[in-house]
Amino acid sequence: MMPEPDDIGFGQPEPGSAAPPPSSPSASPPPPSPVELGAESLGGLTAPPPQSPTPTTPDAQVPAPKAIPGGKQLQRIQEQAAQAFRPLTDTVWSKLDRKATAVAEFTLRQYRTKSSTWVVLGIGVLFVGMMLMFYAEAMATGYEAYDNDGDSYDWDEDGYPAGQERRLGTDPNDRFDYPDPDIYPPDDPSVWINEDGFDWDGDYSNRNQGFDDDSDCTGEGWTDPGSWALPGNKDYNGDGIDCNARYRTNVTGEIVLGIMNDPNVDEDPDEDVFIKEALHRGFVLGFGKIGFVFLIGIFLPLFLATGLIRDEMDKGTLHYIMGKPIARAEVLAYRLLGYLAVVWPYSTVLILGTALITGFIAPSESLFRFDDMAAWLGVLLASWFVMLAYGTVFCTLGVMSPKYGLWIAIGLGVWEFAMAMISLGAPNFPLSWLSISHWGIEIVNCTSILAYPDQSWMAAVSETVNWGDDTPITGFYSAPSIMPTSAFGSLLISIFMLLMVTVMALFIGQSSLKRKELN
Amino acid sequence: MIPDLSQTGEGQKEWAPVPEAPHVVLNHVTKTYGQVIGLNDVSIAIKGGVTGILGQNGAGKSTLFKLIVGRLRPTSGEVMLFGTNPFKNPAPYSRLGYVSESEQLYDWMTGLDFVATLARLYGYTRDEAKERAMHVLEFVGLDDVANKEIGKYSKGMRQRVKIAHAMVHDPDLIILDEPLAGCDPLARTTIMNVVRELGAMGKTVLVSSHALHEIERITEQILILHNGRLLALGNLHAIRELLDKHPHRIKLLTDNPRELGRSFLPHEDVFGVRFPNSGELMIETNNLSSVHQALPGICVESGIRVTGIENPDDNLESLLGYLMEGRA
Repeated sequence: MMPEPDDIGFGQPEPGSAAPPPSSPSASPPPPSPVELGAESLGGLTAPPPQSPTPTTPDAQVPAPKAIPGGKQLQRIQEQAAQAFRPLTDTVWSKLDRKATAVAEFTLRQYRTKSSTWVVLGIGVLFVGMMLMFYAEAMATGYEAYDNDGDSYDWDEDGYPAGQERRLGTDPNDRFDYPDPDIYPPDDPSVWINEDGFDWDGDYSNRNQGFDDDSDCTGEGWTDPGSWALPGNKDYNGDGIDCNARYRTNVTGEIVLGIMNDPNVDEDPDEDVFIKEALHRGFVLGFGKIGFVFLIGIFLPLFLATGLIRDEMDKGTLHYIMGKPIARAEVLAYRLLGYLAVVWPYSTVLILGTALITGFIAPSESLFRFDDMAAWLGVLLASWFVMLAYGTVFCTLGVMSPKYGLWIAIGLGVWEFAMAMISLGAPNFPLSWLSISHWGIEIVNCTSILAYPDQSWMAAVSETVNWGDDTPITGFYSAPSIMPTSAFGSLLISIFMLLMVTVMALFIGQSSLKRKELN
Repeated sequence: MIPDLSQTGEGQKEWAPVPEAPHVVLNHVTKTYGQVIGLNDVSIAIKGGVTGILGQNGAGKSTLFKLIVGRLRPTSGEVMLFGTNPFKNPAPYSRLGYVSESEQLYDWMTGLDFVATLARLYGYTRDEAKERAMHVLEFVGLDDVANKEIGKYSKGMRQRVKIAHAMVHDPDLIILDEPLAGCDPLARTTIMNVVRELGAMGKTVLVSSHALHEIERITEQILILHNGRLLALGNLHAIRELLDKHPHRIKLLTDNPRELGRSFLPHEDVFGVRFPNSGELMIETNNLSSVHQALPGICVESGIRVTGIENPDDNLESLLGYLMEGRA
């Protein structure tokens, strides 16, 4: 209801009630009038509540404790306790209820009203759902074992696999030359498939690895130890040891950088076990890097953070917030806080949801695979820091150039995409270090190494066997670039770099906002 | 750039106004937008009472306010709000309430949300802010629609919720930029009453308008801006006297202007009548109040039906014209 001229003095004190003191020290006491009553009412809003229940006037006597009956004494004790605890309400929690949460909460609620927010978040969920379907299909697909060294084939069609013929000294290409069937009946060809897998004792410091399980390098058990089918140079990798695999590791011996086998050593591993595991890890790495850290990591901030201040300036509503006793830098920081309150829980739910679903589908001996949780947490860590950095940078661009900020942000997105691709292919190329995506990808690399003790070995094996597209781990895994000797050190540096970008962007953004005129 | 961990606001924590300083001081302030001059060498000092800022569209009223509240930085000169540069230090905002001319609001918020959320930026807790918001919404007559979305408010209600948000922290200085623009008569009356009452509370109120009669109903202390320049500053009565020195016109709408004009000619203060068209009579006088006093009697005696009375000179344009003549 609109007040009429005569009834504006709302909340006029009841007759006989004490009027609160005027709030403004500069306001001189107005003469008694209907208007003045209104003034007192408004002034009363600022009048602090009595801090102490104890009357201060001489007339008011506080009764001695002994004079208080039991019930009243209890009440008094409760009042005293309430008074004693009162300062606790003025702690960090009640203070956090003020400006920071007011702006952050306002930002959150503002996001809720924008359809663009729901569209962007919905697309992210759809994207993750689609990728999970592809993943589930890949995991449901069995990988038939195949003969990597070709010794299960009966080339001359004499009934004997080539491997058996070589071992027994007959010619695998001559159908009339084969072992005596009464003494050596023909092996089932499957015996000569997956007969020489990768042997690794898990000791990174031991560079002498590998074992010739099928003896087609050492010639042990062969009828003719000097057979032409045995390799002439049994120390191809030049480590002075015949028929082994030489492991190339980093300085600290924590990461396998490459494997060089002697001929016919570890040349026929079990695809079904290895490829499925490598595929799964490739998904964790690839989806973590491209999906969560790059695509979702850049699109969410682009659409949600660029307009945090810029849109308010455009609409002419920023002064509602800025026209308060709050530093402009704080407004920027608290708006970003609201943005983080949306994107961090969102990415957390998506990533942990993905971890949960893949945990049930991934190759594992138990119902749920817990081995990946650390890797997914690494992806989560990367996505948080990347979204923090991108959000701050994009918001700053919006502040610096309300007109072109979005276009500059899109241009930056293209740059980031190019650098992400470089970072995937050539992580040591220093140009990519000038991007946010590189450091996000680096975090995923480092945490995957920390999460899977044999991660670098598995990637090196895939590279050595050249399984190609079947094992995307070779494409998505990279050893740490900034600090090759330590995954943990690289992880810390990567986080530091992203925080540095954030702080710099925040500094530039608040400097720009401080100088901005809000016309 | 260290976030204020105390969350009490710079205004409450560190800043103290300069004692006895005028609430608003502009010292030779000029503001230009490229080649366009928004405000030209304006010097004023204001403390206490309701001051009406009069000026046509583009006169510089909003620029003046934006400079005072620190939204703009002066091109030259100095602006002080409670003795502090408002562009560099937001602390004086704790004693300032500002209602901008912008019609943009957060339409998705309820009136209570809007006022309470912004009140928290003064350092109030959630509960305190809500309580204060309810009080001021009641004060501006929006308590019954406090929980309604602002998008569903009428123009007058939107203006009042803006006023409520500016008053929620009980400021000493309230600036209202065209608060009556676009409002219906009932909303105008309500807002004018609110402004008058704020003045009676001892607040310093600056209110702008381009309509002289609106300001007249609010305050007697006015400041006139024209083309970015401070044209006049003082009491409205003095301005009225200035107006009275000039010939005035009274326009009567009637079916028989010539016969009615004949009835007015014997009046000693009427020195001429004109007939702009077949339905209008224009009376020229040097004593507006005298003719206005006699007007009803003359009309009744003549027996001629009058359908409307207007004072074409009683507007800002005329006032500005006279003031400019005086300058020339």
